[in-house]
Amino acid sequence: MKRLDLAVVSGLAAILSVATISTAICLGAEPATATPPKFETHIRPIFREYCFDCHGAAAKLEANLDLRLVHFLEKGGDSGPAIVRGDAAHSHLIELVASGDMPPGEARVPAEKVEVLKAWIAAGAPTLRPEPESIGPGVPISDEDRSYWAYQPIQSPGIPAPTSEEPGADRDRTPIDTLLRRAMPKGLSFAPDADRLTLIKRAHFDLIGLPPDDQTVARWMNDPNDGWFDAMIDSLLESPHYGERWARHWLDVAGYADSEGQTIADADRPWAWKYRDYVIRAFNQDKPFDRFITEQLAGDELAGPQNGDWTAEQIELLTATGFLRMAADGTGSGDNSPDARNKVIADTLKIVGNSLMAASLNCAQCHDHRYDPISQIDYTAIRSVFEPAFDWQQWRQPGQRLVSLYTTADRAEAERIEKEAQAIAAEKNTKQAEYMKQALDKELMKYEEPLRAELRTAYETPDKDRSEAQKELLKKNPSVNISPGVLYQYLPAAAEELKKFDARIEETRKKKPVEEFLSVVNEVPDKAPVAKLFHRGDHQQPQQDVVPAGLTVAAPEGKRPELPVDDPNLPTSGRRLAFAKWLTAADNPLTARALVNRVWLHHFGKGIVATPGDFGRLGSTPTHPELLDWLSAEFIRNGWSLKGLHRVIMKSTAWRQSALNHPAAQQLDPDNYYYSRRGLLRLEAEIIRDRMLAAAGGLSNESFGPPAAIKEDDAGQVIVDGMQTRRSLYVRVKRTQPVAMLQSFDAPVMDINCEARSSSTVATQSLMLLNGEFTVSVAEKMAERAVREAIAPDAAWIAQMPKLPSAPASAWTFGSGRFDEATQRVVDFAPLAHWTGSQWQGGPNVPSERTGWALLHAAGGHPGNPQFATVRRWIVPQAGKLHIEGELIHHSENGDGVRARVVSDRQGVFAEGRAKNGKQNVACDAKEVVEGEVIDLMVDCIEHETSDSFTWPVKIRLTKPDGNTYETDSTSAFHGPLNASENLPGQIQRAWQLALCRPATLEESKAALQFAAEQLDELRRNPQNVAKGNTPERQVLNNVCQMLMNCNEFLYVD
Amino acid sequence: MDDAQLTRRKLLQRTGMGVGGIALAWMLQQEQAHAKPKGIADKPHNDLLPRAPHFAPKAKAMISLFQHGGPSHVDLTDPKPELTRLSGSDYTGDVHFSFVNEASKKLLGSPWKFQPRGNCGTEISELLPHTADIADDLCLIRSMHTGANGHEVSIRYFHGGIPGVLGRPTLGSWLVYALGNESQNLPAYMVLTDPGGLPVDGVTNWSNGFMSAMFQGTVLRPREPRILNLQPPTHLSGMVQKQNLALLEKLNAKYMEAHPGEAELEARIASYELAARMQTAAAEALDISKESAATLAMYGIDRNETREYGTRCLLARRLVERGVRFVQLFHNGQPWDNHSSIRDGLPAICRKTDQPAAALVKDLKQRGMLDSTLVHWGGEIGRLPVTQEHGSPEKAGRDHNGQGFSIWLAGGGVKPGIAFGKTDEVGHKAVEDIVTPNDFQATVMHLFGLKFEDLQFSVNGRQEIITAKRPAKVVDGILA
Repeated sequence: MKRLDLAVVSGLAAILSVATISTAICLGAEPATATPPKFETHIRPIFREYCFDCHGAAAKLEANLDLRLVHFLEKGGDSGPAIVRGDAAHSHLIELVASGDMPPGEARVPAEKVEVLKAWIAAGAPTLRPEPESIGPGVPISDEDRSYWAYQPIQSPGIPAPTSEEPGADRDRTPIDTLLRRAMPKGLSFAPDADRLTLIKRAHFDLIGLPPDDQTVARWMNDPNDGWFDAMIDSLLESPHYGERWARHWLDVAGYADSEGQTIADADRPWAWKYRDYVIRAFNQDKPFDRFITEQLAGDELAGPQNGDWTAEQIELLTATGFLRMAADGTGSGDNSPDARNKVIADTLKIVGNSLMAASLNCAQCHDHRYDPISQIDYTAIRSVFEPAFDWQQWRQPGQRLVSLYTTADRAEAERIEKEAQAIAAEKNTKQAEYMKQALDKELMKYEEPLRAELRTAYETPDKDRSEAQKELLKKNPSVNISPGVLYQYLPAAAEELKKFDARIEETRKKKPVEEFLSVVNEVPDKAPVAKLFHRGDHQQPQQDVVPAGLTVAAPEGKRPELPVDDPNLPTSGRRLAFAKWLTAADNPLTARALVNRVWLHHFGKGIVATPGDFGRLGSTPTHPELLDWLSAEFIRNGWSLKGLHRVIMKSTAWRQSALNHPAAQQLDPDNYYYSRRGLLRLEAEIIRDRMLAAAGGLSNESFGPPAAIKEDDAGQVIVDGMQTRRSLYVRVKRTQPVAMLQSFDAPVMDINCEARSSSTVATQSLMLLNGEFTVSVAEKMAERAVREAIAPDAAWIAQMPKLPSAPASAWTFGSGRFDEATQRVVDFAPLAHWTGSQWQGGPNVPSERTGWALLHAAGGHPGNPQFATVRRWIVPQAGKLHIEGELIHHSENGDGVRARVVSDRQGVFAEGRAKNGKQNVACDAKEVVEGEVIDLMVDCIEHETSDSFTWPVKIRLTKPDGNTYETDSTSAFHGPLNASENLPGQIQRAWQLALCRPATLEESKAALQFAAEQLDELRRNPQNVAKGNTPERQVLNNVCQMLMNCNEFLYVD
Repeated sequence: MDDAQLTRRKLLQRTGMGVGGIALAWMLQQEQAHAKPKGIADKPHNDLLPRAPHFAPKAKAMISLFQHGGPSHVDLTDPKPELTRLSGSDYTGDVHFSFVNEASKKLLGSPWKFQPRGNCGTEISELLPHTADIADDLCLIRSMHTGANGHEVSIRYFHGGIPGVLGRPTLGSWLVYALGNESQNLPAYMVLTDPGGLPVDGVTNWSNGFMSAMFQGTVLRPREPRILNLQPPTHLSGMVQKQNLALLEKLNAKYMEAHPGEAELEARIASYELAARMQTAAAEALDISKESAATLAMYGIDRNETREYGTRCLLARRLVERGVRFVQLFHNGQPWDNHSSIRDGLPAICRKTDQPAAALVKDLKQRGMLDSTLVHWGGEIGRLPVTQEHGSPEKAGRDHNGQGFSIWLAGGGVKPGIAFGKTDEVGHKAVEDIVTPNDFQATVMHLFGLKFEDLQFSVNGRQEIITAKRPAKVVDGILA
């Protein structure tokens, strides 16, 4: 139902205006001012928006009325003149639009535009310049359209050298600075240069999206050379992470996803990552961007046909065309209708328009663009470029666009292995037949002759040849009907043996070379479909043929940038190659500007043009047009080198200045329109996650390859599956299942593509970083690292810090000992030496050299050999009557079980019990004890120390002489080392470095240790707030780490 | 402009989507002690400060139960004896079909019976027994008209003001833009989606269009947990969290000191404070366990068939009770799109929704909230009086009809117990007191004390209004 409804919509929408341009600006709506409106500047935009579709754009004129020239208006159509110069009241045009009779359908010319029309007619319907007698078909591109900034040739502005008289000129490092500074209002200047550490961090996040590690910070902080900064930029541009960082920017606008989208199935797109990896490599190689564009649009045309095996170069070129396979495409997963196919093409063109031309091409899909001089013919001409690769009538579904990377050798090898497998299969069949026969023979022995022979004959006769009697006979004796599937019921061992054959076949087949694929765009040889203009965008209403061409408005007046229909020098049509050449030609005004603007956007958080995907009239105008042109020209001059462009931009004072808001900036440039400071940038979603993992020391260095899996957690939240720590770039992008953490921080959910990300600040982000499992677990990892790498603070520093509360003396010690039968006492008690974070044991590994398997955790543990029974030692705090009770559980069926004893150093054994694969309550009651008496909860292995894991939670109640009771239990009282808080200051210092790439200041350290003191106190009083297996000290450190990852300094880059 | 103002303005602009709006509300609440509510006639704003409307409002909040797909008015709310009489014969007038391939002109009388309800006597079908119970509270509009049959065209018309056009702010956005947020702890515009999935047109149903993202609808998850990560792990809650947040505050204060005037940093700090408060406030709002058994039963939460929709209707009431301005409920897909087998399909969706929707009105009335809460029930289109052939009568359904259909309103200043407007004798076209979605929008604005033509939003120098300057009128006939 849905599909047809949409068809209805598209028809209607065409009449009304296309959905995507609904937030239209009314260009003709400027109020009539002292100077009367002119046809070219005020009236035509209104006609373009509401009237030209029927009265000028198409060859067929409704009511014979043509609105393209004023004298046509005067002449009028079937209903007479449309206007009477100087007399709005008697102009038929006004009557029609004011009454709402025109345009037909639901659209209305708004009242203020009607006023403009009236004012114009009243003023005598003036034009800016004389009109021709007649014009060719279509709405011509006017001088006003042509003079729009985005269509002007890119010209490097002459920049007069700064003179010393110019205030602030001493800050100019590059022409960027000169241009920006000269555009500033009086009194404004750049902020002071940022300090070195800030620059180091900023450059790292800008170029590789990762924080600098200690060595890197030290290296650049201590570099005595003047050229340290350039050297750092160079080194970052050489990092393999550079490509990862900048690929992500490009993948946004290309609309990268690992799923097909468009239908509910949202099927996997298994080879998309090959294109992602290509983009990373291209950026790392600094592939000239014009070449990069050409490869993405026409890699197949460059690659040429397959001749034997694909060469490495051909593979790279074919991979590049993955760019044109980024649009959602559900034609292989649920909807292969003509509408769906045409949607794939339309989305692809939108991506091409946004990314490479900064043009809203898509607005000219159903009719001429209502605001920009892009006709529907222009749109169709570009569609025509792609027609041989995307023929909606001879459609190829995603699966049909895959190219195998198997080589001849691979194929031969696979065949050879298949033969091997077949041989095993044959062997199995022979064996199986033998077993079947055996089984039959055995089964038939249960029958007497002659029935036995009859049954055998019936069984051995092929089904189709069996007589009715034979069939009946077999039916009556079902157990004779032995088939391979039930063989196991007759000869279990034989069936097992046959299974081994299957395993071998599978093993053998696994040895085949893995067959990989590329999702490519290519052409079907010898087929050149003709692109037709679709009336109102409806493929069911094809009209004239349109040949390939670029945008008319981007060519010099009178020239249409037509492209070859079929390049005789290429086996392919050559259309996309020619289109790429047109896009990357030095005189194309669109492409270089679009790219340079994007790069600027990622360095400064905002584009020179705020709408990077649309430089048209619905987009923004450049804040610094000369700068945009200078950068574009420089980019082209440098051979379209992106790395060159980074160098140019990052060397500028504009980039190197501080992000701090200085008074003049606050006063004169609150929105940082003039770049009077660097501006604070929030890290993108992926970089936040990467930075967290990097701080914890767990970020994987693995590059390229299939994406990391995602899954839904119990709450239905999509998370990265398991503890995968690859960079977020490598996490699977499933359109219908965006990873919650990334989406929350504005990672795009790919519907088509993402022209520019937003940067939101919402409470759900805070909830995620405060309460989300991911942050909590990464904080733990980071704390672990801080413990390992703790700094040894010097005494003078420690002396200035708040004191941490000393650990309360514990009544408990956890160790091992031996039961001396002679004295009936525990002897050789020694604390277990190693704390793992959740249990005590003899060394870093169990069995440990000395104490063997002896270990203790909160619930129980495992005894070592009889010399090293486990002992939980408790010192009686006060005299009284002692009651002890606990259920000893031994889980294993194996071994000889365990024995528990409660032993007093003064009185000997209070209680004893054994358990083997079961439970035993071990208790004593009303034992008089004195203060300081030692009570040992001892568990020994009896004779054999294997399979002796036990639990024995013990409750202790002491009734004091005054009748009050004191209670403790072995589970909640269990603890790790109590003196760990000595190390906490050094660990916190390290945490600071890990999170923020700098040491904590004295003040911060004091605040952190004050916090630690208070929280330690809190946690010791409320041990339930210590996560399982943690000590209070460690929990405090975890929390410090988590808050560091929540703080603004972590989430923003100066 | 002083620094404080500047900071606030920029903060408001930058604070982004959804729940973030609350951050603003929260911050602004802090300022309210010394900032009087402003009139909306003031220059364009980008904040959620509560504002006084143009004139005394009747409605302060709205709950919209959107019925995607086109509920069949001739079977539910608009009895047509003439259609019953002519059932089986060919319709002599023009019919605007969507599915031409299955088009038929054979009239299909409603298989269900209508009868007068309540004191007002408004006739309602037996398919809606609970809605029939509240007939005296309903303002039933039988003359809705979008002029277009397509779902999306009419849905976008209802939400955004122009048929078929996406990318405009929705009704909730306009109300919140105009009137701000009354709640300290919850977003002003909340959306409750169906566990089965999103409605047709997905998230654009609650789009902020060209307005700032703070005016976008915030979606509650359709199942528990309705807000992700709302609760900390137990060991990080309570005093420990307080201590942690205090440490964070110190870290952020240091950084803020070094970056004076950075509104975004302030906003993030506020978002943490808000997050902490939401943990209790939102959890409380979304916890229906303390509702009485009688209330739960009234909404049908005690029965499988009605539990899900009933729960959402009840949540809508709880949200409005706590100051949320606009709540909208959606179905997944288009359950009212009964092209075929209408005899089974229509009763099924009625059974799911009838009781909860009626309970919402009853509940609001019992609590004295109905006078200030406007309830809306309706889809984007209705259905044709002629049958959509599928070869056999059991499979018969009805095609789309944007020419005439019904919606109902209750409370919030509309006349109770009336049936307004008429369709023709077979129910195809609205013929009397025609109401378009633009009229509906204008009227809703009016009930909130807003002059829809004066409530403008500047987009690149162009003044936008909710009805996009298309013909629109306040429907006086339904005002109490």
